[in-house]
Amino acid sequence: MWSYLLRRAPSALLVLLISSVVIFFVLRLAPGDPAVLVAGPDASAETIEAVRRQLGLDRGIVSQYLTWISGLLTGDLGRSYVLGAPIAQLIATGAAGTLTLTAAACVIAALGGGLAGVILATTGNRWLRSVVDALTSLAFAVPTYVSGVLLVLVFAVTLRILPASGQYPGGFWSAPDLALQYLLMPAVCLALPAAAVVARFLAAAMRSTLDEDFIQTGVAKGLSKRRNTMRHVLPNSLPPVVTVFGIQVGQMLGGAIVVEAIFAWPGVGQLLLQGVLNRDYLLVQDLLLLAVTVFVVIQLLTDIVHALIDPRIRETL
Amino acid sequence: MSTALVRTSPDAGLARPARAARLRGLGAQALTGLALAGILLLAGVLAPLLAPHDPLGQSAQSLTGPSADHLLGTDEFGRDLFSRVLYGLRQDAVVALLAVPVGAVVGTLLGLLGGVNRWADAIMQRTFDVLLAFTALIMGVTVASIMGPGLPAVVLTVALVNIPIFGRIARNAVLGQRSRDYVVAARVLGASPTRVTFRHILPNVLDGLIVQLALSLSMAVFIEGAMSFAGIGITPPEPSLGSLLRTSIAFLDQNPAYAVGPIIVVTLLVVSFQLVADGLTKKLLRR
Repeated sequence: MWSYLLRRAPSALLVLLISSVVIFFVLRLAPGDPAVLVAGPDASAETIEAVRRQLGLDRGIVSQYLTWISGLLTGDLGRSYVLGAPIAQLIATGAAGTLTLTAAACVIAALGGGLAGVILATTGNRWLRSVVDALTSLAFAVPTYVSGVLLVLVFAVTLRILPASGQYPGGFWSAPDLALQYLLMPAVCLALPAAAVVARFLAAAMRSTLDEDFIQTGVAKGLSKRRNTMRHVLPNSLPPVVTVFGIQVGQMLGGAIVVEAIFAWPGVGQLLLQGVLNRDYLLVQDLLLLAVTVFVVIQLLTDIVHALIDPRIRETL
Repeated sequence: MSTALVRTSPDAGLARPARAARLRGLGAQALTGLALAGILLLAGVLAPLLAPHDPLGQSAQSLTGPSADHLLGTDEFGRDLFSRVLYGLRQDAVVALLAVPVGAVVGTLLGLLGGVNRWADAIMQRTFDVLLAFTALIMGVTVASIMGPGLPAVVLTVALVNIPIFGRIARNAVLGQRSRDYVVAARVLGASPTRVTFRHILPNVLDGLIVQLALSLSMAVFIEGAMSFAGIGITPPEPSLGSLLRTSIAFLDQNPAYAVGPIIVVTLLVVSFQLVADGLTKKLLRR
């Protein structure tokens, strides 16, 4: 386990290092001068120079990069040029929203996708299977910005049973039922593609597990179909599903940018888009590296979890 | 090396029968998808001829429902939504037909190069790792913060996202083929590594690349829409399917048909590409 992590860590760190260099230098190509941005439109040349020195933008570019990285490593993400607040604080606030949304979507994707997968693999009802099959195909192919608008059109505009956008203003625990109503549509929208992938992979894995000898033994022993499926087929079909689920969680964090935009859900994605449109480069720089880091870490974790639940892989590590 | 020997060797004919069979045997599913996608993209390309109104032309009749004159009604500035959807398709046609092929060709070439040269391979692998760590939308944000929002940013993003995908497929395919008899034979006959790669290996790994091409076209539609929806792609007043959907949210109460056109068109586009990909996977990869 640890030796596996040690073997994988260097290449993951290399990817992060190169990404940080790319993000830093590429954003220097962007138009606009941060010092002018911070000093304000009416600032004199002297003020702008003073701000430039204060931000460290007058130093060499390599020195600026090293300052940025050493700041990140000591937990100092700097201050937003436009919003003025410490970036760490802005990200912490946004992360609460994004993580709530992603966690809810993960639960929905795992349960919904799992159920659909079990149905696809085990039902004898051809009609039911075709319907579930078509639904998973659609959920997989249709982009979130289409399904999201469709959800709003149906549940908020036509049926008027769910709020169209925003987050419950009073805090989650003051009224969990209302807060969940606000969370439901964005979470479902974000979960749909992942649920479809889970369903597809689970169904394929279960079909191949069903052919295994030990399942036939279970049938021969007289296990009920339900017990055989839940106790033997499902657990033995999970490892490949966990791997794709990990990839899907990585995709969700990207998808959250769009879903947050559809439902005006306050989160890191909104912060990032706002940063791009405001030319708030330090904020964008930090968030881009954060996104890349999260993606790389999720990839590593996925491999580790895969190894943990599949003894055959664990042995080889 | 002895080029004369290569020129006289009858290697060139080997790939041809396979290619001809491929065109004949695309399968009904893939052909349906191809036809549907073709019609939609053609409608986009021909938008200036097909659109009944100027997509930017404002009028006093704002947010009217569907009528004979305005098939999908009008938007908040009285612009014809049907025409705007057609012009939105045009943007997707540009992205699909320009950015995806560029990314596919560059990625494939880099991947093949990695399959031939060990040093190039090490560099390519790290480059692909980094490019893949920028998921599609994060890449979009990065590109848009340098170039500013717009069609060029979308095209560059889609190309960049596709490079590592095609690169990995091409490289792995080359590694898988390298020790096959026909490759060894060609090498023994004195064909140069470049010739072996392009003349012998490439035709035999095309299947996987073609399937990915269909998936990438679907992804291109997704990226254009997502970037435009998020405000970092094609921005209003320029029509795009993504930005139409974004704006529609505020006006769904007054004109529900505002969103219906883009929803149907985007769904048809991605489903048709998906049909092509699924059909091709069945025909080409699971033989």
